[in-house]
Amino acid sequence: MKIHLYALSTCPYCRMTKRYLDEHGITYEITEVDLLDGDEKQAAVDEVKRLSGGTSFPVLVADNEVIVGFNKSKMAAVLGL
Amino acid sequence: MRRVFHEGTTIEDLKAYMGPFAERLGYKFNTETEFVDEVLESELQVLDRDGDVYCPCRVRTGDPKEDLKIVCPCIPFFRDEFAAMRKCWCGLFIRQDVEDGAELIGVIEQPEPGTAVAVPVCLLADLPSGTARHVKVGKNDIAVVRVGDEVYALSNVCRHAFAPLAEGFVDGHIIACPWHGWRYDVRDGTTDHPNADVRTFPATVRDGEVLVTVPLGRAR
Repeated sequence: MKIHLYALSTCPYCRMTKRYLDEHGITYEITEVDLLDGDEKQAAVDEVKRLSGGTSFPVLVADNEVIVGFNKSKMAAVLGL
Repeated sequence: MRRVFHEGTTIEDLKAYMGPFAERLGYKFNTETEFVDEVLESELQVLDRDGDVYCPCRVRTGDPKEDLKIVCPCIPFFRDEFAAMRKCWCGLFIRQDVEDGAELIGVIEQPEPGTAVAVPVCLLADLPSGTARHVKVGKNDIAVVRVGDEVYALSNVCRHAFAPLAEGFVDGHIIACPWHGWRYDVRDGTTDHPNADVRTFPATVRDGEVLVTVPLGRAR
């Protein structure tokens, strides 16, 4: 399963999500959107909008599932934890 | 950086600055103090980098007008959603009637657009019988009117010359416009003038608070 986390370096819920994934030994790619610049940042923001319909973080993408926010029960269900 | 902030602004400074605003809006800091400190610490990072206390969980669009909506506390821009959620997006602030804020930390869940939400608008004690007051719930300008122990809510805007009805004259179940005396029945918004009835909203009292039920606007 391909897992990608869109996060902000300043966001407490993003930190909680990372902690949760790390604790469960999940491997994932991460984009820290606020640390990007210019076109790269805009592209990431557009992608987050496309995936989640908004600009609230974190946005976790696991195959075709998109989870917005730190949602333990949904993550557990989608990741089979 | 706004003048209210300065280099070396602390978490305690932010608490002292935001607390009174939240209180006016019917909110308080979350009862989980460690969580509050974590969020405010993040806001200090954002302040340092971006010059204002933007929401640490949302990204700035670069459009100054849009970005103003995510300056903490963002409660005024999302009042109806937050009333339903009983907290602001992140849970830094919770409604004053919530005793334990721990359960509200976590998921950013927003109600579906169109969901009817009962929003506290004022204390019954602040609305004497025979008076009206203007409240704003989301995008709705509403006149709440008290007649005896009953409360009513209708559009605050007279259909004639757009006067604020809450400044009008209450006589039994009738509110008369302050400018030309158009008379509306507060129970159903009807008036004698053709095609000029105003919209009404369900209104109730719970634990001394007046609640007005409005449908949520679009999701953000």
